[in-house]
Amino acid sequence: MKLDELYITARLAKLDLGEKEAEKLSVEVSRMLEYFAVMEKVDVAGLDATVQTLDRGNITRSDVVSSLDVTGRILANAPETEDRFIIIPKVL
Amino acid sequence: MKIKENLDSYLKYVSNWEEKIGSFLEFDISRTKGMSTVEGQLAGIPFGVKDNFAVEGFNITCGSKILEGVSAPYTATSVAKLQAAGAVVVGKTNLDAFGMGSSTDNSAFKITNNPWDTNRVAGGSSGGSAAAVAAGIVPFALGSDTGGSVRQPASFCGVYGLKPTYGVVSRYGLTAYASSLDVVGVVARTVEMTKTVFDTMKGQDIKDNTSVSHPGSRNNGDVKKIAVLKIEDGSLSDDVAKSYLESRKLLEKLGYDIVEIELPSLEYVVPVYYTIATAEASANLARYNGLRYGYRSKNGNDPGEIMQTSRDEGFGDEVKLRILLGTYVLRSGFQDQFYHKAQKIRTAIRNEFDKIFELADLIMMPVFPTAAFKHGSKDLDPFQQKVADRYTCAANLTGLPALAIPSSIENGLPVGVQFTAPAFEEDRLFNIAKVLEKDFPSPLAPGTKNWSII
Repeated sequence: MKLDELYITARLAKLDLGEKEAEKLSVEVSRMLEYFAVMEKVDVAGLDATVQTLDRGNITRSDVVSSLDVTGRILANAPETEDRFIIIPKVL
Repeated sequence: MKIKENLDSYLKYVSNWEEKIGSFLEFDISRTKGMSTVEGQLAGIPFGVKDNFAVEGFNITCGSKILEGVSAPYTATSVAKLQAAGAVVVGKTNLDAFGMGSSTDNSAFKITNNPWDTNRVAGGSSGGSAAAVAAGIVPFALGSDTGGSVRQPASFCGVYGLKPTYGVVSRYGLTAYASSLDVVGVVARTVEMTKTVFDTMKGQDIKDNTSVSHPGSRNNGDVKKIAVLKIEDGSLSDDVAKSYLESRKLLEKLGYDIVEIELPSLEYVVPVYYTIATAEASANLARYNGLRYGYRSKNGNDPGEIMQTSRDEGFGDEVKLRILLGTYVLRSGFQDQFYHKAQKIRTAIRNEFDKIFELADLIMMPVFPTAAFKHGSKDLDPFQQKVADRYTCAANLTGLPALAIPSSIENGLPVGVQFTAPAFEEDRLFNIAKVLEKDFPSPLAPGTKNWSII
């Protein structure tokens, strides 16, 4: 994979890669993609895609209110908070 | 020696072994004690939980700096069911970050060594769980298995490793890596313990819409005919090849009807697996952005920049590699070539397994081409480790249950063998494992001992 392709992919993946890191990763990503190329020779005509293996439809449940009072414990994991708000740098 | 009556010597034993193997990221026998019932099938039994499961009272780091110090706000259903049966969580075990790896060397926090030889890895990604069980610290531990992450370390450490049928154990509280492949698995010292833990955890869970109830075996778990995968010369190390041949001979001696089979699609399972797993991982790991919880970088002036720097500084190399690969195969223009193609080949792989189960009750194949390798990629570099997943990741792509069973000791290291069954036929796996356990039980690593549990 060319370095500019890697940077485009990294931007989509929200990864701010350093130069050295990008060079190293581009070698490793390329090695995997070359390996993936073996899939090209497989004839998949007439085959559907497998997206999951349970072979069943949607599961639904009734819309019943239930409470799992963990808000405080979840907020406790935030890097910075004020009252019940998570502080982040300004957006605009 | 009983743990309960000899708590001090047990704790001494644990700290002694932990110094050598480093299997736990956190260990505290009393922290969740009140959350377990005092009676039940597993009353008083200590167990370890891989650190990508939520257990109230402990952190959940997934072995990554990006989640360092994050505490679990609730408990995973699988763990809660075991607590309801009396089992007690004693700690969180080490892993390759987010379950990505075959060595546990990709943990951001510590190295885990194999109790059989501390220069070698315990396998991965559930290496901490397997090492803890093999060292006699706990009689069982939970792991997650996306491409072999329970079976391969179990095999490296000489214990049992179960990957159940997809969907049979609730994943509520398990950190998602690749959602169409991830299952909750069990590492244990005996077949009976593996089965008890599995039976306790299985069942549909309203909190996990991908979970299903287990219909039970269609034939009482009877095993008569076993399909044995033919191995091409040179695909296994000499030790593993020798052990594999002996397992086959043993099955013949025990009177099973053996049929040799080939699985041509095995050539494609690793590329298909890594295409699908990384694609799903790139989506699942998009949630870690440093804003709401976990590691937040100090570099960056706005939320967009902070997301990028936090992810770059917080994720390790292997995780970044997989996110990049997964993002690439999902990019517009490349989807048909990679992701969609892989999903179709996945169907071909499933068809091939289904066909074999028309003529056999189980399939026997190796777990991994080698015994435990040395730290630092000396024997197998990270790319070769991925290629070596060929025997384990098929069960994840097909959703089928599979069990790694200790088969022999070769040159001082345990070797295992793997059985795969049709969907929901875990009982067939337990039945064959019980028969083979009589011939070769899980071996005790030098210097370890079997604590009697209660």
